[in-house]
Amino acid sequence: MNAVADIFKNKTMTQLFFILVLFISFVVNAQPAIGTQSPEINLKDVNGTDLSLSSLKGKVVLIDFWASWCGPCRKENRHLVAIYPRLKAKGFEIYSISLDDEKADWKKAIGADKITWLQVNERGGWDASVANAWKINQIPTTYLLNKEGKIIARDLQGRDLERKIDELLKQ
Amino acid sequence: MKTKYIVLVIIMTVALGSVEAQFTKANLQASGLTCAMCSKAIDNALKQLSFIEAVKPDIKNSAFNIVFKEKAVVDIDALKNAVEDAGFFVAKLKITGSFSNTEVKNDQHINFAGSEFHFINVSDQVLNGEKEITVVDKNFLTATAFKKYSTATTMPCVKTGKAGSCCEKAGVAAGTRIYHVTI
Repeated sequence: MNAVADIFKNKTMTQLFFILVLFISFVVNAQPAIGTQSPEINLKDVNGTDLSLSSLKGKVVLIDFWASWCGPCRKENRHLVAIYPRLKAKGFEIYSISLDDEKADWKKAIGADKITWLQVNERGGWDASVANAWKINQIPTTYLLNKEGKIIARDLQGRDLERKIDELLKQ
Repeated sequence: MKTKYIVLVIIMTVALGSVEAQFTKANLQASGLTCAMCSKAIDNALKQLSFIEAVKPDIKNSAFNIVFKEKAVVDIDALKNAVEDAGFFVAKLKITGSFSNTEVKNDQHINFAGSEFHFINVSDQVLNGEKEITVVDKNFLTATAFKKYSTATTMPCVKTGKAGSCCEKAGVAAGTRIYHVTI
């Protein structure tokens, strides 16, 4: 205990300590940042088969965090269903990550919303490890990746999303 | 010997059959400017309460299904405060209790699971087993819904949520928190 007190008597050490604490809390809170390479995700699809994000390299990818119980997510699905066929033909893919706890609810929503893009799921809701790793605080949350797997934009919707995808497809 | 055996069986049956008076689960609907379930904030705030075991989204009612820890005393106001601290409001709160011969009379107070309850708009009845009650206090439902319930009793406690001096003869100290509920 005395040793600790001695350290704090030293002003430089105290400053260093606080800088270190500040740095740690900054790192802990950080979401994957725009301009950085997307971390790998590997989860199971509806059939229980592993589906990794890295297997989509070479395509423009929209990572979409959602759940069947999220009204705004379901609304955005309608928009994605409308633009998906045209963009998929050009090399675009959607990697949807559902935070549903019940597989049946997830499957039901996929059917009801007529979703044909890639779907993976990890049980646990907000506490699912993928949600923790990406620091998801609300859904829908989306990340748009370029062909090299770099994060280009977050939470784009509607016309803005479509325009950006077209732009990235041409690169 | 035979009589002793029968008495023992009766005692055992009564002991096993008696249910501890407690709340087991709740269904909570929150409202706000944005989708309440789509934010981690309420989930986080609720899970920090010591008497909560689990919080799950309820798709059908756009609500939260809450499971309470076994034998834990449920603080109903703390549920509301957690939702409000997260930046939302309670739009509806239904709580399930395991009752055992609990007599309920319209516009009268009872003590259950450590809290005082005032039943409004109910028919006189005896509650047994799992029963759901809805909290109708101010800030536990929409303003219009509260207005409807607040006119259902002449007792002053409905406006404040606290016992008036009128309750003292029934053994409830003035100022005690009284939850207004219906079935």
